[in-house]
Amino acid sequence: MLLTPSILKIDPEETQQRILRFIRDYVTKTKTKGIVLGLSGGIDSSTNAALAAQAIEGSKTFGLLMFERETRSKMDVDHALQVAKQFKIRIINIDITKPLNALYKSIPAFAESDLKSKGNIKARTRTAILYYYANSKNLIVSSSSDKSETMIGYYTKYGDNAAGIAPQQDLYKTQVRHLAKHMKVPNAIIQKPSTPALWPNQTAEQEIGIRYETLDLILYGLEHFMEPSQIAEQLSVPTKTVESIKKRWLLTEHKRRMPLTPKLGFRTVGKDFRLPYDAEEE
Amino acid sequence: MIDQIKIALGQVSSKVGDKKHNLRTMATYITKARKQKADIILFPELSLTGYVTKDRTYELAETIPGPSTKEVEKLAKTNHIHIINGMIEKSNNAEGVVYNTAVLTSPEGLIGHYRKMYLPTHSIFEEKRYFRQGYEAPVFETPIGRIGIIICYDIFFPETVRLLRLKGAELIACISASPSVRRNFFEILTAARALENTAFVAYVNLVGIQDGLQFWGGSRIIAPTGRIIAQAKYDEEDIITGTLDYTDIQRTETFVPALRDIRPELFDDLGDLSRKL
Repeated sequence: MLLTPSILKIDPEETQQRILRFIRDYVTKTKTKGIVLGLSGGIDSSTNAALAAQAIEGSKTFGLLMFERETRSKMDVDHALQVAKQFKIRIINIDITKPLNALYKSIPAFAESDLKSKGNIKARTRTAILYYYANSKNLIVSSSSDKSETMIGYYTKYGDNAAGIAPQQDLYKTQVRHLAKHMKVPNAIIQKPSTPALWPNQTAEQEIGIRYETLDLILYGLEHFMEPSQIAEQLSVPTKTVESIKKRWLLTEHKRRMPLTPKLGFRTVGKDFRLPYDAEEE
Repeated sequence: MIDQIKIALGQVSSKVGDKKHNLRTMATYITKARKQKADIILFPELSLTGYVTKDRTYELAETIPGPSTKEVEKLAKTNHIHIINGMIEKSNNAEGVVYNTAVLTSPEGLIGHYRKMYLPTHSIFEEKRYFRQGYEAPVFETPIGRIGIIICYDIFFPETVRLLRLKGAELIACISASPSVRRNFFEILTAARALENTAFVAYVNLVGIQDGLQFWGGSRIIAPTGRIIAQAKYDEEDIITGTLDYTDIQRTETFVPALRDIRPELFDDLGDLSRKL
């Protein structure tokens, strides 16, 4: 297998239509009234919003802007509003600075310097609010996770991946960019550096330590059972870089699973209890 | 025996676990097929129950004959049509043994059934977890031709269709539940199986989404030359019909003499080597 950028090429129209059918099917079968999602002004949430609005209607899609003092940027707010306007999504603006401060104060062990633990509170607070709207308005929460970040576990467990559906989770970041372009998400959003916005000036590529163009090809190789040395040779990157990505992928499997439990019963949730979510009762 | 028949493919979307609904859908399609004077209609793999049944598989299984095959018999009789449909078959001898089965019914009643021989258990497929594999590849001698049946993944094994062809099958009915990412495979294989065996192939696939898995449709009727006689829409419910002229088989065999040129001695090697794989 040759790991060239063309291997990640998707048919954007076919991909879009498959995702739209998937979303419509889920909303119909769950008898919910629409979708609620976070709008950060970034590429993933903008694409997620565009997909939701096209699958159902913009009027049934609720985009929650949940910025906070530390990471808010005017550009991101403008981009989120631009996307909402373009895809005719209903927006709800909630400043989460105060609840976050209240949470920080209420945790005895809270340390300002522990950026990760603090940042994860932000992601989980956003999730709590999304689920408030999901419950009160009978909506599905849609996660904007992509495959690159999901595979390496670059997200907050029970935070930004906590959702009913994740329509673009089988697309690598570079493929999301392709789809976003096809769906006419503004170029400025597609081209700006991705950030989880957990702390100021955080950018995904800087933190992961590799460009998405390379990361996606490494992950594609791992997905296709290639050896790290083969991948490294083809991409002209050090083998230890590929090995560290592989390690990150394997070590974060716990984030992608139901909570582990010892096998004690006849059929066990998360292990060998297998049920279709959409079976009908006669 | 007749030279020409009209075949219909009912490209339906099944509701998982709702046999009554799925039987009603079949009835609607059978009426449509009859209006178009079809002699036979095919429905996709496990379309009676839905494909992604997981642990519900056992409770949805029925014996053959059983309540659902009786319903299908009524539909065949009332509409004077042959029907091939997919269902979960419960063994008559062991309660917990189930098969992924295709049933052939004529206006006179049940003709027989075929149990899927190759059960995909890889990627998103987990058929061996539930089903026992079939051991027989019958060819059914009917008033509308000699019919061999395969189910979905069976088509990846050319020996299955070749066996049916050597037993005299003129029409290979392939009922399927193929997800979208595998469309390209089936588009190639359906044409290949027709051409290499100089037989008609009728491929009927599910549409709709089950447990998040999308089925691509694209059902098709293929001539012994590999030519597509009729093709259904992708991703939407549809019904198509086409006329099969069995005399085309002989004509094609003179032009593509694949059966004449079979080398029996190679089959011994194939047997030996596949055991040692």
